[in-house]
Amino acid sequence: MRKIVAAFACLVLLARPAAHADEIRPAYLELREVAPGEFDVLWQTPMMGDARLDLEPEFSGEAVPVSPVVTRTVPGNAIRTWTLRAPALRGQTLRIRGLERTVTDVLTRIAFLDGTVAINVLQPATPSVVVQERQSRLALARSYVVYGIQHIIFGADHLLFVLGLLLIVADRWMLIKTVTSFTVAHSITLVVATLGFAHAPVEPLNAAIALSILFLGPEIARIWRGETSLTIRAPWLVAFVFGLLHGFGFAGALTGAGLPRGDLAVALLTFNIGVEIGQIAFVLLVVALERSFRQLEISWPPLIARAPGYLIGSAGAFWTIQRTAILFGVVQ
Amino acid sequence: MNPRRRRRAGGPSLPPGRVHVRTALAAAAVLAAGPAQAHLTNSGFGPFYDGLAHPLLSPEDILPAVAMTLLAGLGGARCGRFVLATLPLAWLTGMVGGWALGLPGAPAWLLAIMTALLGALVASDLRPPLTLVVAAAAAIGALHGYDNGRDLAATTGALVAIIGIACSLFAVVSLVTGQIVVVKAQWARLAVRICGSWIAAVGLLMFGWAMRG
Repeated sequence: MRKIVAAFACLVLLARPAAHADEIRPAYLELREVAPGEFDVLWQTPMMGDARLDLEPEFSGEAVPVSPVVTRTVPGNAIRTWTLRAPALRGQTLRIRGLERTVTDVLTRIAFLDGTVAINVLQPATPSVVVQERQSRLALARSYVVYGIQHIIFGADHLLFVLGLLLIVADRWMLIKTVTSFTVAHSITLVVATLGFAHAPVEPLNAAIALSILFLGPEIARIWRGETSLTIRAPWLVAFVFGLLHGFGFAGALTGAGLPRGDLAVALLTFNIGVEIGQIAFVLLVVALERSFRQLEISWPPLIARAPGYLIGSAGAFWTIQRTAILFGVVQ
Repeated sequence: MNPRRRRRAGGPSLPPGRVHVRTALAAAAVLAAGPAQAHLTNSGFGPFYDGLAHPLLSPEDILPAVAMTLLAGLGGARCGRFVLATLPLAWLTGMVGGWALGLPGAPAWLLAIMTALLGALVASDLRPPLTLVVAAAAAIGALHGYDNGRDLAATTGALVAIIGIACSLFAVVSLVTGQIVVVKAQWARLAVRICGSWIAAVGLLMFGWAMRG
């Protein structure tokens, strides 16, 4: 378990196209029908420094603003609100102009007067969607499962933390205990934070998540030196404690996108299922690759064998410094 | 059709000059024929994941890669290690070449024939020398990679997708070869050989399609 190649660790970083880990903050578009054919619009876009992402929603048919656009900013996001008149919104194509040039997603929620709600996740590769007559629960669940998978596979910090745990665990039983522990812990805080019973401010949370990765670096180095520690003896404990932090991070992604109030349970459950699917797939892939390398009797040069450990420590240190600097306002 | 055979079959004969022109045109058409699946699969997760998914969802790519790994696995751990070091690297080099040059690559019929031959080698359980296996891995990787790279040249995020494809191939070769090298039971080896025969059959089918244009 401890000899996982550097190439695989690099893969984790390559899988993350943006420069900042865990900062694919999605945009959120909500349309709420307040009178027949009239919608209150809430358009939330992430800010990069002082500038908001250049994204604009467009409809293929008649959709005319009938009130001035009001803009306000909250930390990390710009929020615009206005009223839209669209007598026949169903069947129109909603397109997010400029989305194809970004790496972010847009979660859209359209609530009609008859109680039906259409929820979709638009991505750079699929920046438009037809507003359906009626969206089934299954389609809603599918959207959130995909969103959950996407959050974990693009979250280099979460994946590096899991990789660090895999490098520490000594046997299969400990692997199962550790992964289960991490899953239980992040599920607890995901639910608690999403339901509003607890809250963790974004910037200290991101710094703490980075610190959890940095923490694993020296523990991996201890294994190389043949030493032991509480983390090495009981990695499941560390997975649980830090898993609570990572769960707040997952909740931030879910609530930051805006949650459908009426479908909260479905969204929460399916988002978590998506996260678990992504995480289990990653763990299985790493374990299967490690087994294959053993069966091929590959003996990696020490530098390559230790590269994942160095990568985890270095990335953890970099993110910790970067996020702490952001926390104290040294950099934006 | 060969004019001599056409005459024997009683078909209308063509002047020799026109026969040569038609043969040349047919040959050019076959040579110019690109691979069946040129575009990149859209995974919805960005170019790196598009690249990861591409070999897995492109039969003309995954079949020769799997045939190569089966052959390497049957050849033992040493052979497996050499192919693991060669195939993804050659594929990556080929992709970068195709992306940079953009010239037409190997004809589809040649790639199909190579797939069929590799499948036949697996099915026959022949043990070619290590040098030959490594050379075949390099050739397969370079030719298929070149086609992938050329097809990706016009897409956005091509280089990231190229790295995704190389990672995907590295994982496939590791996982498949790693499982095959420990296969000892007679029935399991037989199952691997049957897989080889299917790949040979599909390769021949692809050859037929390529020749039909």
